[in-house]
Amino acid sequence: MNDLRTTFVLARLFARRQGGDRLAAALPLVSFTLVTALLLLVLGGSQVFFRMDGDIAGTYQALAVLALALLVVPLFTLGAAAARLSARRRDERLSSLRLLGATTGTVSLLTVLEAAAVALAGALAGTALYAATAPLVGLLRFAGQPVGSQMWLAWYWLPLVWAAVALAAALSAAVGLRKVVLTPLGVRTRQQPGTARGRRAVVALVVVLAGVAAMAGLGTLGQLGGFLAILVAVAMAFGGGLLALDAVGPWYVRVRARRLHRKATTVPRLLAARTILEDPKAAWRQVAGVSVTTFVGVVAGAGLALVNAAGGEMTGEEAWLFEDIRTGVFVTLVASFLMVACTVAINQAATTIDRGRVLVSLDRLGVPRTVLAEASRRSVMSVLATVVVGSAVVSAVLVLPILGAAILVQPVAVAVVALVFVAGFALVRAGASVAARLVPGILARPERVL
Amino acid sequence: MTPILTARGLTVQYPGSATPALDAVDIDVLPGESVAIMGASGSGKTTLLHTLAGILRPTAGTVTLAAASGPVAVHALDDAGRARLRREELGFVFQQGLLLDELTALENVAVARMLAGVPRHQAEGEAAQWLAHLGLQGMEHRRLGQLSGGQAQRVAIARAQVTGARLIFADEPTGALDSTTGAEVLDLLLAAVAQGRTLVVVTHDPGVAARADRVVTLRDGRVVADERRAARAGGSGGGEAVHRVATVRGGQVEHTTVAAPYDEARR
Ligand SMILES: Nc1ncnc2c1ncn2[C@@H]1O[C@H](COP(=O)(O)OP(=O)(O)OP(=O)(O)O)[C@@H](O)[C@H]1O
Ligand SMILES: [Mg+2]
Repeated sequence: MNDLRTTFVLARLFARRQGGDRLAAALPLVSFTLVTALLLLVLGGSQVFFRMDGDIAGTYQALAVLALALLVVPLFTLGAAAARLSARRRDERLSSLRLLGATTGTVSLLTVLEAAAVALAGALAGTALYAATAPLVGLLRFAGQPVGSQMWLAWYWLPLVWAAVALAAALSAAVGLRKVVLTPLGVRTRQQPGTARGRRAVVALVVVLAGVAAMAGLGTLGQLGGFLAILVAVAMAFGGGLLALDAVGPWYVRVRARRLHRKATTVPRLLAARTILEDPKAAWRQVAGVSVTTFVGVVAGAGLALVNAAGGEMTGEEAWLFEDIRTGVFVTLVASFLMVACTVAINQAATTIDRGRVLVSLDRLGVPRTVLAEASRRSVMSVLATVVVGSAVVSAVLVLPILGAAILVQPVAVAVVALVFVAGFALVRAGASVAARLVPGILARPERVL
Repeated sequence: MTPILTARGLTVQYPGSATPALDAVDIDVLPGESVAIMGASGSGKTTLLHTLAGILRPTAGTVTLAAASGPVAVHALDDAGRARLRREELGFVFQQGLLLDELTALENVAVARMLAGVPRHQAEGEAAQWLAHLGLQGMEHRRLGQLSGGQAQRVAIARAQVTGARLIFADEPTGALDSTTGAEVLDLLLAAVAQGRTLVVVTHDPGVAARADRVVTLRDGRVVADERRAARAGGSGGGEAVHRVATVRGGQVEHTTVAAPYDEARR
């Protein structure tokens, strides 16, 4: 009991000490806010389709499932990034707690409590954000009517979502704690460079090939079974494709970074390559959401081209459906982009805070701040280029057998894919620049990271 | 002799603290000498070192460096100017190393030259020479995280010298090392002095102070003693190209005479 009281006293002390660098302290809160708001919006949006009835409801629901499947991965990535960020912020302070004589039990309890509290606060703020933005999303029209108040979730969803967000954060903090060694002199332990095995690449290749074969087979089936069969096939093939990408991603990133390192002629390039090689998995995770967006972009581009090609002869419900597919494709794209941008901003912020010691060291040695900034930008952007090209190729290969090259080279498809690329790069750059704003603060208070 | 570094009335007041960490310190550092800064914990040693090296800006007072191109008012430079000065004119060996764990020993040293615009292969060539010179042959391609504390400090010493910096600042360079390894690292630093460089070293270690040309003692941010050792007073101000260096192989200390790759003519 006494121990618990100590914990709360320490928790209050540390909550007060955080005031110093507000941006870094606010980031976990802001990220949980975004996670919750996006989660509620996605839930509200899909509820619109599951409340439908009538002949065509099944098709809408199948489409909604496809959109959800494409959004689940970036949403989870975003949630994980938020949890990791708040865990990292705490790592910095754990060693001082230990030095103050707190037991491992106290430190662990404090960590989990704080993570849950921050997440809960973020979840509440996120609910407000959802309430503010849901009417805007409600302006969208589906099946000929505006979505309107159908975006509102029943009240019992809210505590469920709050509990889920807080629990996920607490769990992530508890798992994160097991990875650091709590010694009185510090909590930071350097890990061995992440290994990403080539064997995974082989597994991934097999999965992709199986996907392509299934798509080719089901493409013929589609002519018989209609639209729905194609949708199921697409959803399954892309699920497989995403899994394959996730397996092969870190390995591919490492191979590319080795090349970058060999060819590096300048300090930023050298530092960027070494940063990536230090942990290819983390470098991959940083932009993995973009691979999903690229997938969505390629499917969306092909889908829109298909709609354009077929749309002319439709009437009544079918015309609505095709109009709605167009809307849905854009909503999914925008949502996916938003999540990726948030993820990149959060991950970059966490990485920047993590590398505080390195930044201070390089600054003391007189390395120009422009070199620091370019190195950190390059470590993200070069992986991003790798990831976007890789996923575009994989998804095009998957789409090819059912839709054929004719669809993929249609101007609409090409335009959407190009848009995805440009917007993706711009967003990631913007996300990375949030992190760059942390650097002056870190350099101004070096004693915090050393 | 004209001092290489002159400080007058150096005062540092950290925000939120009642007493200044440095209180009107005057100090002249002569070229080619080794100066040990001693004093109790919290007496302001690190603060003084950081202010002299242009890492920290003094609240009041002046720091003037006699750079190759002429005198520079360090205290008056902006962040970018001081960063440039640190990069081009100064070398650093801190307890924390200041090196990057994910880079190899060779890369850590080469980066210093690459920042000066030297092409990578040439920078790595120079770095390799310095590493070999400091007894790290065969370890060039180990990541810094895979080296021992003493080896990492050798890498730092190589980095501090590869740019041709004439003034080296060290903050407890032996603080994290056992006494034997610490003595070896000190040998290497003093070898750099014997070669004509200037060393300012903050230390708690009386063994380090005993071998320095001069010992400055701080208390509560003021200089309370400044003693020059007569035996070393003459110093070895020249830029000899050859000197003795201690290296360890198989636990045995052996003294070798090596040619220094540092070349005055390059500057
Ligand atoms: N960033 C800072 N903010 C506020 N006070 C500081 C800061 N850094 C140092 N101080 C204070 O200034 C004084 C001098 O600190 P300094 O680090 O220079 O001492 P030191 O002699 O190097 O000590 P040590 O031997 O422990 O390294 C101390 O009282 C210290 O608490
Ligand atoms: Mg100190």
